[in-house]
Amino acid sequence: MPSEYEALVSALQATGIPFAEYGWKTRPEGAYGVVSLDYEAGSCDGDGVKCDRSFSASVDLFYSLLSDRDAMVPEIESVLEEICGGSWELNSIQHETGTGLFHIEWTCQVTDEGS
Amino acid sequence: MAYVMKADGLDEVAAILNALEGSAQPVASMSLYEGAGAMAETVRGEVKNIRTAPFKYASGGETRLPSPEEKAMLEAADGMGIAKFDKNGSEVGTSVGYQNSGYVATPWGKARNNVRTNYRFEGTFAKPIPVIANAINSGTSFMKKQPFFRRAVQRGTPKAEEAIVRTAEALIEAIISSNGEESVNER
Repeated sequence: MPSEYEALVSALQATGIPFAEYGWKTRPEGAYGVVSLDYEAGSCDGDGVKCDRSFSASVDLFYSLLSDRDAMVPEIESVLEEICGGSWELNSIQHETGTGLFHIEWTCQVTDEGS
Repeated sequence: MAYVMKADGLDEVAAILNALEGSAQPVASMSLYEGAGAMAETVRGEVKNIRTAPFKYASGGETRLPSPEEKAMLEAADGMGIAKFDKNGSEVGTSVGYQNSGYVATPWGKARNNVRTNYRFEGTFAKPIPVIANAINSGTSFMKKQPFFRRAVQRGTPKAEEAIVRTAEALIEAIISSNGEESVNER
């Protein structure tokens, strides 16, 4: 597990927003988040072993109230800025007509140095 | 004290630039088409890696995997490929995706009395293929995320760039050699 990803999960859970890894068994009331490690994005070879690997991760926020969005988005983005530096971006904003939820998706690169 | 710059071969460069006059856009378009084709192939390869599970409605906040039928819809999408080229002067641009894939009939929309599926296409309950692709790629509150498209773009970019450069070089070489033959004939 990349060290930066672990730090990202801990920091997101420390915000007070309900965050789960990969998905929820039972969805919490109100706004919630999901954080997931998606795929290996790149690595370099050193002395015949993989080192300095980078991974693509994503952070998803589901909400229905604009007040939740206004409170949570800056908090999540400050965590991304703190952990990932400049290597994060807002990937998409969607609305689910079936559930009425809004869905904001951020993607970021996390590294695992020297593993 | 003067700094003297000397460059050899500028006559050849000038000849190449003259030979390419008026050919820049066709060369760029054909090269880009090859690159976009390579990217589309990578996306099709990633679609094959999508994990599936038999269809069931997600309930209580659970998320589900896409059904094999949904995966088959993406695999069979005719419009998956290269969008119409956008040309502006010597600039050309295109995109690869499911924009022009159209609609596909969804049997579960009918089973749910069209509660979730609000689209109709040729009299049947249908969903736009881009919506299905997006639900799998980005995930939803009821679908597990499998970012096949992002992964394809990441992995396919070097291949696409290589295809663009290879095609452009071959075309430029062909133009120069054909121009050379013409100028020899003129003499």
